[in-house]
Amino acid sequence: MGAEAIPDVHGHAGRPPSSCRPIVHCPFVAFYEVCFNFRMNTIEVQDLRRVYNASIGAIRRSRKEIVAVDGISFHIEQGELFGLLGPNGVGKTTTVKMLTTMLIPTSGRIRILGLDVVKDAKKLRPRIGFIFGGERGLYWRLSGVDNLRYFGSLYHLDPDATRKRIPKLLEMVGLSDRGEEKVEGYSRGMKQRLHIARALLHDPEVLFLDEPTLGLDPVGARDLRVIIRNLQAENKTILLTTHYMFEADALCQRIAVINKGKIVAEGSPAQLKSIVSDLSVIEVEIFGGVDDRLPALRALPAVDALSIENREQKQVLLIQSPAGAEAVSTILKLLDGVRVGKVAVREPTLEDAYIRLVEGEA
Amino acid sequence: MKRLTQLRRHLRVILVAAEMSLRNNLTDGFVIFGIVIQPMIIALMAFWMLRDQGPDDIIYIVVGSGMTGLWTTTLFIGGQAISGERWTGTLEMLVATPAPLHIVVIGKTLANVLQSLSAMVATYALAGLVFGALPTIARPGWFALALLLTVPAYVSFALIIAPLFVLNPEVRRLQNGLEFPVYILSGFLFPIALLPGWTTPLSYILPPYWAARALHGASSGGDVADILFSMAMMMLSILIYGLLTARLFRRILYKARVEATLVRQ
Amino acid sequence: MKELLRDLGLNVRIFFQGAYLSYLALFAWIRPPHYIATKVVGPVFYMIFFVLMGAYVAGRNDPSFYVIGNAMQTAALSGVFGVSMSIDGDRWGGTLIYLFGSPANRLALFLGRAFMHILDGVFGVIIALGWGLLIFGLDLSQTHLPALALTILITVFSTAGMGLMLGCLGLITRNVMLVNNTIFFLLFVFSGANVEIGSLPGWAQAVSSIIPLTRGIAAARLLIGGESLAAVGPLLWGEFLVGAAYAAIGFLMFRQFEIIAIRRGTLEAF
Repeated sequence: MGAEAIPDVHGHAGRPPSSCRPIVHCPFVAFYEVCFNFRMNTIEVQDLRRVYNASIGAIRRSRKEIVAVDGISFHIEQGELFGLLGPNGVGKTTTVKMLTTMLIPTSGRIRILGLDVVKDAKKLRPRIGFIFGGERGLYWRLSGVDNLRYFGSLYHLDPDATRKRIPKLLEMVGLSDRGEEKVEGYSRGMKQRLHIARALLHDPEVLFLDEPTLGLDPVGARDLRVIIRNLQAENKTILLTTHYMFEADALCQRIAVINKGKIVAEGSPAQLKSIVSDLSVIEVEIFGGVDDRLPALRALPAVDALSIENREQKQVLLIQSPAGAEAVSTILKLLDGVRVGKVAVREPTLEDAYIRLVEGEA
Repeated sequence: MKRLTQLRRHLRVILVAAEMSLRNNLTDGFVIFGIVIQPMIIALMAFWMLRDQGPDDIIYIVVGSGMTGLWTTTLFIGGQAISGERWTGTLEMLVATPAPLHIVVIGKTLANVLQSLSAMVATYALAGLVFGALPTIARPGWFALALLLTVPAYVSFALIIAPLFVLNPEVRRLQNGLEFPVYILSGFLFPIALLPGWTTPLSYILPPYWAARALHGASSGGDVADILFSMAMMMLSILIYGLLTARLFRRILYKARVEATLVRQ
Repeated sequence: MKELLRDLGLNVRIFFQGAYLSYLALFAWIRPPHYIATKVVGPVFYMIFFVLMGAYVAGRNDPSFYVIGNAMQTAALSGVFGVSMSIDGDRWGGTLIYLFGSPANRLALFLGRAFMHILDGVFGVIIALGWGLLIFGLDLSQTHLPALALTILITVFSTAGMGLMLGCLGLITRNVMLVNNTIFFLLFVFSGANVEIGSLPGWAQAVSSIIPLTRGIAAARLLIGGESLAAVGPLLWGEFLVGAAYAAIGFLMFRQFEIIAIRRGTLEAF
């Protein structure tokens, strides 16, 4: 399962240990870095924008412009695991598609490994790998091994090296005993893991993982997270998109929260949590509808943000409040007549920061 | 030296793409129909039509109906070589690899064309069954040579059709309507002399026409000079369509990245 | 009596609703250019192909034989493809389970699917005959036109009967298109559209006698040749009965499928 277990296809004996960042021995670069406090980043995104032309209506078509990504900038350092976090449909996938040369930006600039994604797409592609969440993108009538063998030759890898590498990759993603079966018989999680094996075939320096755990059962998602963590230990630069907070919290060193095509916050999980550090979270279990009480609750000065989670037969009100425990009595007074269960006050998590960021924008 | 490695890589991609395409198609009902069933039915019909007349042209029908199968697979399967990948979501994966897409498509269509040659073998056997004796090929050597050229001629044609279908979805919708016109214009089962004169130039730009002319000539004992000429025309069309291909592919791939159509949403 | 009338009204409504919906569903995936390509332009090419092939291979220089045969064959485009797809389409759309869940009269439901396709098929045959007039100088001067119209209607009906059966077959097998395409091309051979039935081997003639189209094509050829409606009466009755028999088999399969599917819970699965 480890970093050095997999022989690499380019014929190198091994790779530098993960603690060892490549040092650029170029006086100019060093000078540049000192003067401008600027590191050579693996990924640099500047003012990225993407507009779609959508046609609406089946018979009388009209055109409409949709801004999917609206001027975002960020950078990712070598060996970093960077998270792009946001609800569905806010431009995460569009961003990843532009980063992986699959989509041309409307404006803005992306440089990966010093290469421009539009102009140098050809040179860049062999050095990056990606998976887009979901079951598509594999040949269902072929076996897992055949899928990998096919992509091995498409990446111009040495056939013998590929043959040796495939079993190792399958072992890494836990598909060793199912590799010869046709992909159509795979579960969703297995397909996802086969995608990871495919993305790693050519040993790319940079990896893009778009919603890799989407639609997986909890066990499958956990296995996948272990795989991702191991990849990071291999010193790969990784961009991960997800809408699961705990996933981003557990895996990423830095996170950018994206909403409606814009980055609304960026920093380490701890930094993001500090956005809500002045707040406490009050959780109130309730049974039955409370929709009529919500406007009044939201209007309270002690309530900063409010969301509802459904859990089996009950609902949980998540209230972010600067007042903490002191606000509880005011809130309960407003919930008079509603069946209330457990009430708890706790420290905010990353999820709370996320709720605040996304709600604040809405 | 670098050129040589490049060539070796391309050849490998073609071979593996062909192999995977064959495996993928082996159980596809539509492929089986286009490749085997439809040409066999056309051949059977033609054999029975022939019964009214006499068995002189059996080999002509074997070759001609085999060629209908070749065109049908080229049109439907070769034509979808790119758009099909878009449906399955694999086009993005292909584009991401350093292998040029048209090299991959060459491999895929090569597999289809070779597969549909089996229809000709099957109709040959069917002729034996219906008439009690296998028909003879008049000039087997020339026939083999012409067949050898027919394969790349069809592949090069498919390479033009596939990106055109991606570039213009309206054209793809007319796909059904393109099957029989090429049967007619290529002279698969009757000479194009039966058609009005103004259609002749259309026949000339179709590689299937030159393939049919060469194969009919070789199998029915036609003039060697004419067989040679048809083969030269096939080579010319391979050259012209081959040159167009790389440009077309570059164009569609750029367009797809601008319009976000590499994958079907 | 009053109740009977109300039931009848209800069933008529179910019939036309089914008809309308199945046609609407068809046009959701076939756009007008595609429709025109298959319906108006397509037949002209296979007509030309078979006329010329007949002239060259069979040495028959009488285009009207092939023109009439292939024009009538277009009936199967709507009858076989249209009808069977409208039944199978329900399963893919996941709507079959709702139909089976409804108390709607099954026969009205079932036949409703075919109705619009029959109209569409009649239109298709007329267009194809029009091409025959235009390109091959088909001569209709001796023809009793109302009788020809009746022949077309009955022929399309009988292909639709087969389409209903094939649609149900499609519910069981996975490969509807493979089955449909094969049947469509087999009809080309066995219906006598392109080969004189008399010159087929005995077993093939037996096949011809139990499929739709055969008698309809023969009747159309006779009528265009100047025969009277009375002369083709037996052929038309035969064609009608063949179609009705296929529709009946299809309906039995449809019911059986419903029973099995509900018992096994495989309405959308296999």
